Amino acid sequence: MQLQDSSVNTNQLSPQKSIENWLVNQLSSQLSLDAKTIIVTEPLTRYGLDSIDAVTMVGDLEDWLDLELPSTLFWDHPTIEKSAHFLASNYDIKALTPGEQTQAPTKAPEVAVATNGNKGWGGLFGRR
Amino acid sequence: MEKLKQYWLAEALEKALGDPLNPDSFMSFARVIEIDESEEFPHREINWLYDWKLQHHYIPTDCGGEFTSFEEFQAFVRVLSRRDQTIGIAFTTLFWSFITWMAGTEAQKQRLSHFIKNENGAMCLGYSEKAHGADLVGGELTATRVEGGYLLNGEKWPINRATISGVSYILAVTADPKDGPKCLTLFMVDKRELDEANYYNLPKILTHGIRASDMSGIGFKDCFVPDSMRLGAEGDGLEIALKGFQITRTLCAAFSHGAGDTALRTTLNFANERLVYGKKVVDLPQPRQTLVDAFLDLLICDCETIGSARGFHLIPQQFSVWASVVKYFVTTQIETMINNVYVVLGSRFYFRTEHDAGIFQKVLRDNSIISMFDGSTVVNLHALILQLRTLSKYRARRKPETMTEIQTRLEKIFSFDQPLPKFEPQKLELFGRGMDDCLQGLEIAISQIEDLKQGNQVDADVLEKLSYLSNMVLEELNAHDEQIANSKFEYGHDQSPELFEIARKYCVLHAAAACLHTWIYNRQSLGEFFSKGEWLVLALHRLLRPWKSLPYSISEFYGENIAQELLKLHKEDKLFSIVPFQLAQSHKNEEKTYATSGLQRQY
Repeated sequence: MQLQDSSVNTNQLSPQKSIENWLVNQLSSQLSLDAKTIIVTEPLTRYGLDSIDAVTMVGDLEDWLDLELPSTLFWDHPTIEKSAHFLASNYDIKALTPGEQTQAPTKAPEVAVATNGNKGWGGLFGRR
Repeated sequence: MEKLKQYWLAEALEKALGDPLNPDSFMSFARVIEIDESEEFPHREINWLYDWKLQHHYIPTDCGGEFTSFEEFQAFVRVLSRRDQTIGIAFTTLFWSFITWMAGTEAQKQRLSHFIKNENGAMCLGYSEKAHGADLVGGELTATRVEGGYLLNGEKWPINRATISGVSYILAVTADPKDGPKCLTLFMVDKRELDEANYYNLPKILTHGIRASDMSGIGFKDCFVPDSMRLGAEGDGLEIALKGFQITRTLCAAFSHGAGDTALRTTLNFANERLVYGKKVVDLPQPRQTLVDAFLDLLICDCETIGSARGFHLIPQQFSVWASVVKYFVTTQIETMINNVYVVLGSRFYFRTEHDAGIFQKVLRDNSIISMFDGSTVVNLHALILQLRTLSKYRARRKPETMTEIQTRLEKIFSFDQPLPKFEPQKLELFGRGMDDCLQGLEIAISQIEDLKQGNQVDADVLEKLSYLSNMVLEELNAHDEQIANSKFEYGHDQSPELFEIARKYCVLHAAAACLHTWIYNRQSLGEFFSKGEWLVLALHRLLRPWKSLPYSISEFYGENIAQELLKLHKEDKLFSIVPFQLAQSHKNEEKTYATSGLQRQY
């Protein structure tokens, strides 16, 4: 059994360890768990991650790794250790940044279309 | 309209079934009310549909059938459902066969195809259990490995057509759920091959609506099923089940449209004849507005329903989002619409034996199940909540080339006169990676409206209003993304009630975008009323009004034009739809019973 310390600098770690740390962080923050209690060899369902959450987490992982992954990744490899191992052995994973959270979406881009902001209701809702 | 051959089948079925107001028609309102009161399964009517070979249209051509597109499919399901949702649903349980078309082996497909086409085969979906409902992984029915197959033990309940069907799709536990979601396996159980001593049916459940349905259950006791009945590999059950739901949830919208059409039509049959205070009900401003709003609701939902039916053929990988939007939005919008119009019909809405054979109260009861089955409102909004963050992220990262690709796809999806490629169910995905062309292409629609201002094909006033309202949709969408970016996301089922409201609003904005795309790509092919775009102005206004505190009316002039179109479609027996295909002709104009001459002419 291993306990993961989320404060470890992942730059020093193997891809497998980096992914494991990222997953521990992700689980602890999005299920409000203490990272120290997460054991990488335990099934993810034990932490309350249900089938659809597991699919959602693939999306987060895709974001971080900038890879397209199978949506049933965590169904097929249901522990942190197994899924990290699968990824490290089957994908070209490099340049991992320290176990950061996924970025919050930035504001939608301004769109270059005319607006009628200065016209108010008068012109539009006048009765014909 | 005549050019859109995907609606010919629906028109032909209409013609064959005849006017439901005529008691001599095969599925007349009088007859379906009689069936409902008897609570007995409509074998005769279902067999008629088999004789008409409608079942062939549930089987893809490469599996030996005549299914061509979901657009054609949703149209003929409306034809059934506008007469009777019990029959519509009972026959359309055939759409579960898409599970086999998606995940079956060649042998399984051929077998099922033969069963449906030549043996009047039907099927049911055995997923839910008495103690677990929508929690599929929580199920208790087990399949234990034995030589050459499995032994099934457990019960599925409540299941529509559990008793009166030859094939049951049964989701069974094959591994410890603690080890993850690969614990379920799906079987296409052919009851004819089972030992009758090893399975049983649970008694019919008496229901509020669709009373003549075979709502029951099925149980197994050490029941042997051979490997040949397993779909996919062991452990694939949940994935196949969830992808199958993307198909059926989307198509449920067609049941609602049928009910909505009848509710509005039977109300108009009354409002158009009944005189009060010296005027027809329909000529009084308040009831007229209520009917116009109901018509607008149907038009708005059309854009989602038809758009998604077509979208399936082009962007199946995005349906973890679109199926949830349609199943939530269309079914609840039409439910509300039916509730809104009955005040116009007055106490007749409640009668089981009066006014068009008492069809309104039946529609009201029957239709209330649609938003509930195949994933309830809450289930669909929850599925959406889990994807909102990814959707916002994807939207924020769109590049000019992304927009070009979205535009290319939107044009194919929403141009009803363009042919659709074959449906490829193997492209369905459990999550859509944040893509949602319909709403993420909103800016494209806005700039297309700006482009139209350069020409003179569309009234300048309409364009100005469209421009204003569509920019308002965009503002709301941007605000939505900002809200999502600033909210704390968590996994799980303890989502805050506020998030459900946010997901609801996402669906409203999605519907607004679907309306815009539908109009832009069909402006020149769906007739003058559609083309003018006044309906679109009122549709956007109707969608935005509750969220933006807009004035009650944006144009009474447009409203009156919508009313005129509604009355015209009613008079000509055409579907209340943006694709108003011809329904069976009625002779209602000769059967005036409300404004009985003498008394009403006293003034």
